[in-house]
Amino acid sequence: MVNDTPKRVLVIDDASLVRRYYRTALESAGFEVAEALNGLEALEHLLGGHFDLLIVDVNMPQMDGVSFLQTLRAKSLPVGSMPALVISSETAPKRIAAANAAGANFYIVKPLRPEALVEYASLLCGVRHG
Amino acid sequence: MIFTETKRYYVERRVVDRMTVTGTTGFEPYFARLRADMDGEIEQFVNTFTINETYFYREEHQLTCLTSELLADRLKTKPRGQPIRIWSVPCSTGEEPYSIALWLLENWQHVDEHDIEIVGSDIDTDAIASARAGVYGKRALMRLPRPVVDRYFVPTGVDTWQIVSDLRDSVHFTRVNIVDRVETRAHGQFDVIFCRNVLIYFDDLSRRTAAENLFENLYPGGFICLGHTESMSRISPLFDVAWFADAIVYRRPSR
Amino acid sequence: MPLIRKPPSAADEKSTASESAVLDALARGNDDERWAAARVAADFPDSVPAIADALRRERSAVVRKALFSALARIASPQSVEAVLPFLRSDDALARTEACDTLIAMKEAAWPSVAALLRDPDADVRILACSLARDMPRDSAVSLCCELLDSEPEINVCAGAVEVLAEIGEAAALPALERCAQRFGDAPFLAFSIQMAIDRVRSQPSVSRA
Repeated sequence: MVNDTPKRVLVIDDASLVRRYYRTALESAGFEVAEALNGLEALEHLLGGHFDLLIVDVNMPQMDGVSFLQTLRAKSLPVGSMPALVISSETAPKRIAAANAAGANFYIVKPLRPEALVEYASLLCGVRHG
Repeated sequence: MIFTETKRYYVERRVVDRMTVTGTTGFEPYFARLRADMDGEIEQFVNTFTINETYFYREEHQLTCLTSELLADRLKTKPRGQPIRIWSVPCSTGEEPYSIALWLLENWQHVDEHDIEIVGSDIDTDAIASARAGVYGKRALMRLPRPVVDRYFVPTGVDTWQIVSDLRDSVHFTRVNIVDRVETRAHGQFDVIFCRNVLIYFDDLSRRTAAENLFENLYPGGFICLGHTESMSRISPLFDVAWFADAIVYRRPSR
Repeated sequence: MPLIRKPPSAADEKSTASESAVLDALARGNDDERWAAARVAADFPDSVPAIADALRRERSAVVRKALFSALARIASPQSVEAVLPFLRSDDALARTEACDTLIAMKEAAWPSVAALLRDPDADVRILACSLARDMPRDSAVSLCCELLDSEPEINVCAGAVEVLAEIGEAAALPALERCAQRFGDAPFLAFSIQMAIDRVRSQPSVSRA
């Protein structure tokens, strides 16, 4: 990690084991990690705290990842332009297109190896949307 | 919840209480009952540990948010002359709606410029009767500044006070079951609803229904405040999240 | 005193609507009318086809939620059937709402879960794992264990493992271990299965009272 202050990542996924997996990988690489279990909870975290990167699942109860991204991107800077990495099980081009249209910076199909997650996270923490 | 060693006795007593009430004869059978949530045991268990305390000026940060942000926001779009309507539901024995009234009188600089209606509602008619009577003990008043107690309460006995009749007359109390659409709808639309620590106790379907009912009872752009440990993220995606310096509240989208 | 007390005025619309008025509003009403109709449609279980039709066309997110709630309240086999197709929708919100609705329907939805866990679409099978979680524990555990022995997709296995991590009991351990064998080189699944095994093992053995 080049910077002194750790980058803060918000992991948004309803599966506790997925959140745990990402947390383990990211914390080992020096990131700070917070968790939300759906898009609504994510908004609650986001509007009140600073994050450098969002990792977003698609299918979650109450508020899915695509709706969350649409809501997020409608907000003003800096929250609205926060980098977002969508990690989903879905491979259909339509689904990927929907996530990208909603404002994903990157779309990755699950599962991914811990090293790959850290690599993408590091890359995206230097990037702003739009 | 954090329990230290000194609270272990407290915890043990509570567990033994639940075992007695449920007729389970050992820890393992009780634990099985708890894990299976038999007869809603989880809620019972939680209730024995969390006293649903009610007192004046509880969750003061939301009252602060009301007068520093929410009302100003509502006034931007309200038609001139339309009263500000605030709902406290469930209101229990009245501490919350009376607190709102007191807080506005004491802390809102524009209080004399507007008509304000405060409604307090509960499913429990005994609680409503108590609320109307407006008599409270020391514990309920513990967070109120002394001058506020002196100004708005009259002593009625040893360690009991009654809120002054002007204030008792200024809150309208009703009975309501918020899962009942018709009963709830009859209350009309509000600018701000305080609905604390009740939605979490409902099952999925009732919670959905109650949330939809309360949605209808808000003016577009109106706000709903939950208990500080509650979140809309498990309750309903109907509302927008609104973050203020003092509180997270939820909002019915404006038209 | 600026605080005024007024009894709420009596509801000025009829609290009972006729079935035909509701069906009409669902098909032809504006946003407010469709919302109001959706809120009472559950009083008319025969309106399920009309609700399903309205759902397919619905553009307002708020009205759509109310339509799904109506189906959840009706909770008939017909209303379950009406919700199922939305699990396959390309609209993420519709998939989420369909899943939430089926969970709210409880017993009415349970008979569909086994078939959904064998659906040709892996993403539907993943959503089905969320439905299995709220079933009676023995059924949920047995369905998930069965899935773990034959499921080819890692993400679906992960969905079942997530459920077992929460409600699994000792009987689930063999299936978890066999799955770990099958997918030896998948770090995420290996991690998840180990977490699930640890959680199951750490539960005190419980004898039913």
